[in-house]
Amino acid sequence: MAQQFAFTVKRSKFDARAAYNHDRPISGLIRTQLLHLHTAEQHLKPEKRTNININNLLTEKQASEYIQKVTALLHEHGKAAKRKSAGKKTKAAKKAAKRSSKKTSKSKPVAKRRK
Amino acid sequence: MPQGLDNLKHVVVLMMENRSFDHMLGGLKRTNPKINGLNGDESNPDTAGNIVKVQPTASYQGQLSHDPDHHFPGTDLQIFGGAPFDPGRVANMQGFIKSYATQNSNVNASHAIMNYFAPEKLPILTTLATEYAVFNGWFSSIPGPTVCNRAFAHYGTSFGNVDMNLFYVTDADRDKIPTIYERMKAGGHGAKLYYYDQPSSTMEIVNLLKDQSFFGTLADFIADCNSGKLPEYSFVEPNYSDHPGPGGGQLLATDQHPDHHVLAGDNFIADVYNAIRGNSDLWKSTALLVVYDEHGGLYDHVVPPSCTPDGYKAAPAATGVPGLEFKFDRLGIRVPAILISPYIARGTVIPGTEDPDSQRIFEHASIPATVTKQFLPGNNQGTAREKQAETFLDLLGDEMRGDDDCVFFQ
Repeated sequence: MAQQFAFTVKRSKFDARAAYNHDRPISGLIRTQLLHLHTAEQHLKPEKRTNININNLLTEKQASEYIQKVTALLHEHGKAAKRKSAGKKTKAAKKAAKRSSKKTSKSKPVAKRRK
Repeated sequence: MPQGLDNLKHVVVLMMENRSFDHMLGGLKRTNPKINGLNGDESNPDTAGNIVKVQPTASYQGQLSHDPDHHFPGTDLQIFGGAPFDPGRVANMQGFIKSYATQNSNVNASHAIMNYFAPEKLPILTTLATEYAVFNGWFSSIPGPTVCNRAFAHYGTSFGNVDMNLFYVTDADRDKIPTIYERMKAGGHGAKLYYYDQPSSTMEIVNLLKDQSFFGTLADFIADCNSGKLPEYSFVEPNYSDHPGPGGGQLLATDQHPDHHVLAGDNFIADVYNAIRGNSDLWKSTALLVVYDEHGGLYDHVVPPSCTPDGYKAAPAATGVPGLEFKFDRLGIRVPAILISPYIARGTVIPGTEDPDSQRIFEHASIPATVTKQFLPGNNQGTAREKQAETFLDLLGDEMRGDDDCVFFQ
């Protein structure tokens, strides 16, 4: 892809393996993210929650595992809520269609009479 | 209307973490005096009374292993040099070392807060700053930490908060002031927050709970760029942690939050830029803003200016500064911000407070203000602060730079 561009600048190379440390103690920022996700998790049904004590999560790896679980749960929760609301809409639409077909069948004789 | 604005279909914002303007871009003044960076003689006193000058000796990792204080009281100390609250006190940007010294037993280690990067050490960020438009006057919205500052990018307000609390889940005001994503959706437009991956997730938890359809991953962002399916507004978040990748790999944090490796973030900026640059239709119809959420406790020499209050107040108990009720009438410390588009002339510098006659002051409320102005004209849902905020798309001009004239990163 890069060959098609006339003006290029190289990224700096560095020792990514030396820079990587998933055992690094979590920063205040990630601690906050954990607290916020923990709060969000309480909006899920009790059986859907992770029941993980976030006070025991001390490293970036531990935090990321929890963050992944809750993020996935929240997405699942959203999909389920969407399905539920779509289901409600379908049910409501079916009911409305039934009602209108009943009305139509009831009104048919009237229409015939009008004719 | 300039052709650049006429052709504009997408706005993309990449918000990085915790670095000040001078720390990242201050060294550019050497090559372009219009950039309001460092002369080299800026200084702060340390706790032993020594005067410590700025030095181009910032390191990518290891120098800031104690996360520098950037909460409201710490930032207050940095701006006012440690003077106790008094309505008449004057900001002097002299308290950075004093603040970092509270976290270091070693006086010499506290000097690291004055270090900045030589431009050649950050090839991606400094190339973008010199190739496109750099803002001399883009400030964080609050002299405080991440969450309240990022809230200004999403809502145009932090609902009266100056800290890291998850304040707006149950706040009745939250529904009165919808996010820019909600506003865009209601207006029939696309808007998405792209977080790096699920183990890193997002800092915008409220919407993750409320409407997951706003979210995608970085892989989705790249795919959307490649397929031309990018929504009108995108907000990209970096990777906030070192964590294992799929298949046993190692993924480095790319947010540049101390003490994550700064080059991992520099290369991440290149990834986001290249994703747009690599699709010629997208490139000519997109404006990319690279900006940092707040200064992270790192030195900057520019005194934050006053701003339009947004109607909220934070009591002294909330600010943590005795006697100081914060009326949201002053901005936070200056951060790097770069606007990128082929319709921007090389070497554009948008003047800040150093040029009172033509200064333009931006802050994170400028983001929803700009997106609203561009895609939702007439929408009146922002706060007074957002409505007063400068917008930045007028910087796109008439002439599109040729393909050979716009950089690609290898």
